Amino acid sequence: MRQETLRRIISFGLLLVLLLVFGLTTDKFFTANNIYNMLRECSLVGILAIGVTLVIITGGNDLSCGALMGLSCMVISSLLYYTELPVGWCMVIALAVSILGGLLNGFCVAILRIPDFIATLSTKFIFIGLMYVVSIRDAYGSPTTQSIKNSTIKWLGSKIGSGPLDGMYYCTIAFIILAIVVQFILKNTRTGTNLYAIGANRNSAEISGISFVKTKMSAFLISAICAFVASLFFLGKSRAAEPGGGVGYEFKAISATVIGGCAFSGGRGDIIGTVIGVLFMRVLENGILKFGFPTQTQQLLTGIVIVAMLIFDAYYNEFMVERTRRRSARLREKEAVK
Amino acid sequence: MSSNIIEMKGIVKEFSHVKALKGVDFSVKKGEVHALLGENGAGKSTLIKILTGVYPKDGGEIFFDGEPVEINSREDATRLGISVVFQEFSLIPTLSVTQNIMLGKEIHKLGVLNKKAMHKEIDDLIKRFDFPLKPDDIIETLSVAQKQMVEILKALSTDARLIVMDEPTASLSAKESEMLYKIIEQLRERGVAIIYISHRLEEVFALSDRITVLRDGQLEGVVEHEDIVPDKVVKMMIGKELSDATASRPLAVSDAETVLEVKDLCSLGRFEHVSFDVKAGEVLVFTGLVGAGRTEVLRAIFGADKFDSGEILFHGKKLPKGTGKVIAEGFGLVPEDRRTQGFIPLLSVERNAACTNYDTLSSGGFVKVDKEKELGEKAVEIVDLRPRNSQVIVGNLSGGNQQKAVLAKWLTRDLKVVLIDEPTVGIDIGAKDEIYNFVEELAAKGVAVILVSSDVAEVLRVAHRIIVMKEGYIIHEFNNGVVTQEDVLLACSGIIPGEKEA
Amino acid sequence: MNKLKENKFVKKLLQEKRLLVLLALILFFSLLLPGKFFTANNFRNILYSISLQGIMICGATFAVLLAGIDRTVSGTAALAGAACCTTIVNFGFSWQGILLGVLLGLLMGALSGLFHGIVLSRFEIPAFLLTLATSEILYGLVQNITGNQLINVMNAKAFNWVGSSRILGIPVPVYILAVCFAFTYIVLNKTVYGRYIYCVGGNKQAAKLSGINVKKVTIIAYTISGIMGALSGLVLSSMNQQASASQAKGYENDVLAAIVVGGVSLRGGEGTIQGAMVGALLIGVLTNGLQLLGIDPVYHDLIKGIIIIFSVAVDMYANYKKSGLKRDGFFKRHKKVKTHA
Repeated sequence: MRQETLRRIISFGLLLVLLLVFGLTTDKFFTANNIYNMLRECSLVGILAIGVTLVIITGGNDLSCGALMGLSCMVISSLLYYTELPVGWCMVIALAVSILGGLLNGFCVAILRIPDFIATLSTKFIFIGLMYVVSIRDAYGSPTTQSIKNSTIKWLGSKIGSGPLDGMYYCTIAFIILAIVVQFILKNTRTGTNLYAIGANRNSAEISGISFVKTKMSAFLISAICAFVASLFFLGKSRAAEPGGGVGYEFKAISATVIGGCAFSGGRGDIIGTVIGVLFMRVLENGILKFGFPTQTQQLLTGIVIVAMLIFDAYYNEFMVERTRRRSARLREKEAVK
Repeated sequence: MSSNIIEMKGIVKEFSHVKALKGVDFSVKKGEVHALLGENGAGKSTLIKILTGVYPKDGGEIFFDGEPVEINSREDATRLGISVVFQEFSLIPTLSVTQNIMLGKEIHKLGVLNKKAMHKEIDDLIKRFDFPLKPDDIIETLSVAQKQMVEILKALSTDARLIVMDEPTASLSAKESEMLYKIIEQLRERGVAIIYISHRLEEVFALSDRITVLRDGQLEGVVEHEDIVPDKVVKMMIGKELSDATASRPLAVSDAETVLEVKDLCSLGRFEHVSFDVKAGEVLVFTGLVGAGRTEVLRAIFGADKFDSGEILFHGKKLPKGTGKVIAEGFGLVPEDRRTQGFIPLLSVERNAACTNYDTLSSGGFVKVDKEKELGEKAVEIVDLRPRNSQVIVGNLSGGNQQKAVLAKWLTRDLKVVLIDEPTVGIDIGAKDEIYNFVEELAAKGVAVILVSSDVAEVLRVAHRIIVMKEGYIIHEFNNGVVTQEDVLLACSGIIPGEKEA
Repeated sequence: MNKLKENKFVKKLLQEKRLLVLLALILFFSLLLPGKFFTANNFRNILYSISLQGIMICGATFAVLLAGIDRTVSGTAALAGAACCTTIVNFGFSWQGILLGVLLGLLMGALSGLFHGIVLSRFEIPAFLLTLATSEILYGLVQNITGNQLINVMNAKAFNWVGSSRILGIPVPVYILAVCFAFTYIVLNKTVYGRYIYCVGGNKQAAKLSGINVKKVTIIAYTISGIMGALSGLVLSSMNQQASASQAKGYENDVLAAIVVGGVSLRGGEGTIQGAMVGALLIGVLTNGLQLLGIDPVYHDLIKGIIIIFSVAVDMYANYKKSGLKRDGFFKRHKKVKTHA
């Protein structure tokens, strides 16, 4: 069996076990309300995680997506607060800002050749800084949290009122659509193939005429666009632009990719894995609360799960490599005996 | 129209004032299998790299199908129809066969792939050659031979008219090699020309229509099909004017005390049932083709890799495991690839030489700086490093001096056994001689030396005894009488002199 | 003899180009802010403000020299602070409690470092990722210990003395920083272990084949880093006279910035603790100067980000220029890409 298939079964199995445990032990878990709420939280992280997955497939990482989401939120709300621009234009400007952010990431990584982690950590600070710069100020000129009263924004944070999906939030629908679209991009377009190729074997990919710079750029661009989409629903949910909001979401997104089996060496992983990862993390967090553990244990437990998964993956890879080596050696020996 | 698919005339290539190719002529006819032979450093790979656009040439002309062409990049070569199947695979391990073959030339509409059409195309391609492959197989699940087939298909999918195969059988089993030979036959029938580079002489003789032999960056001669006689070709490779020092060498088993004894050492997939011994003051040379398992044996003895079974006896006692302990017993290793394993490029010669010596250079965990400095000076003195400065950064030295810096960290110690792996790869002739002198000096001092080398001249220059390895097994030992370069070269390919006549 | 050594030290310091930048920066702010910047009081403030991160840097530099990274310095600081303060409170602010608390805090740091060292030396996990995830665990532990409450140790006078007193006009934390700096300087420059750190960081394979126990070197490095992080957390708790659940959060970024600005290469094996300290001073002086100039603190993050990018980009470029050491430099690649196009 292929290594990745096995890994997929493992992460999916973990999710099922978790669902079973929480489903059987508490009756508060499998209620429509709880599920839709969980899905809503999932979707926000998930939309970011989709972008991060693409960057990880190219062998990098994106720590700046949470801050970029926050920046995009702040741009929209600041424009709504200070100007008379229609909300659509505010979003277009926020999209432009996000794209510039993605380009900055791509520039640092692909052209300045700074390691992804460091580059995106630095741009994270830049985005946080900019977030404060464009933030809404109070009478004394210091940044403040201001609630946004705009029908479109409100609608983005609402749920479907009728039909078979009554109670599901719009952001979940956006997440599902985005996941399908990006999965399609990965598996069925040239861009997708290029992302895998650059991540798995950069030199060969370049010999085949694939541009490293362009491919990295496109990964960061898509990640930035995902951050923008997430920001719309994030704003819809909080209905307030908070300076420093969104920071920390990148960690949740990266955690999801870890659980989903994205390889940080690049060239492996897809959106299905990430979706499983996002669901797993959220179910775990929610289940812990529903189980009656205090809130403080949430962070601790999620941290432990991720570290355990990192160690497991490293061990599993080592094991599989050694197994393949031994197997092929044995095969040859048999042949030689013949 | 010309009968030659490719013709290279007077090709010249210099690497930092050293001429690697001194005006080589080389031509391949349409649809022939043409072998390119020569010892290591003869200029084969440089010539191929110029042909495929990896290196620019410094002089000469290239004609493709009679037309003069300039090949400046891999893409130029591909466009002309020249493809390479390299030793190290240029495939993307996590993608499928189809994706790999079509990489960069996918069938698509606005970026969306037409998977069906691609699948069909690859399926047809595979069926045409009847390879045991499926279009959707993922590369990393395939065997080495299958990967090679994918490489060949990739070459063919660009309508290649000339395929270069660089050591294609180096990592194939006998059965897989057979399969490759059949594929080469098929290609020949289709009119694809093949340049075949291999150290395995028997297969070269069996496969090729013509052979070009290079030596020291010059054309030694072209052998037509009917003239291919192993002894003659080997003589051409070695050169007519044999210099006495390296043409042949009398060997003998020393009667000194046995220092190291290896018994039935096995490591699955690396080497099997390796047994030998080394005596004090002896230079034992391991030779064979790349991938024969020689380096792995050295690493296992040195404690760098684990092995499955067998034992290593040092002066009759079991050698402790772990590199640190082995070093403490008086062992040293000069590894194969000095840049990645031998030295620490950012540090000075002094620090590099000292890194194995802190047991004597410290007290209570603190470095005795004066002694360290002394050692640095001594190291530079011993290996005659140029510049004579122990503070110079090793990464900035020339290849020969870098190797000396690696030697320095062992020569400053009181050695009993030294393991040396391909010490002169990429080193100029002057420095080579110096390194041979160190080996001889060490042996004269009573140190047991185990040296791994693929360079036949080098083997005969230093060896007291020669062990030949092939595919993980020791297949022959030369331990008495006079041995010639020919004998060794043929033995590496599995043709043992005594057995051939019998 | 002593004098000679001192001279060497000064020489080494002068070789650091960053020191010149630092001096230029000081000159710049002194001219811009006459009477405000160049005062003993202000320098005391700068030193005091960088002392915490400085202590962390002394530890984290070990990890970076091994081509790793330790983002848990802040997490261990928080954990040590919380463990120590809880113990002090539980022992009724007695001196036994303080002693036990301090020891317990340092032990926590050591254990956390030990864990990282063992995992990173055994498995192929990017250090950045692992320490990012373990930070989560550490802060999770802190939340559990403190119950998300502030733990007040106002009554532990002996404990708070460290954070609030001065000796000869210089705050005590600065002395602690000086001791840590001296420790790291001596370990890196005078001991066999220090030599091994540069060997392993410069070329792990070669170090292994020279008989250096790479695992041991890695484990010790991360343990030192953990202990230094914990020490810094204790000093922080002493300064604040309390421990909180989000104590020291974000310090790891300042530490990383200072180390990178200080010319310690993220590829390992290159850089000095003096350099890292100059990096910390640079950032400290810059922050202080901007504050005095009345520039909004919201710009500080922005500036920090730009500084890191600039420093690493310069480092990458310098690395490319040093021929013989290049590891796929951008410029070479870029040219290649161009000819392809």
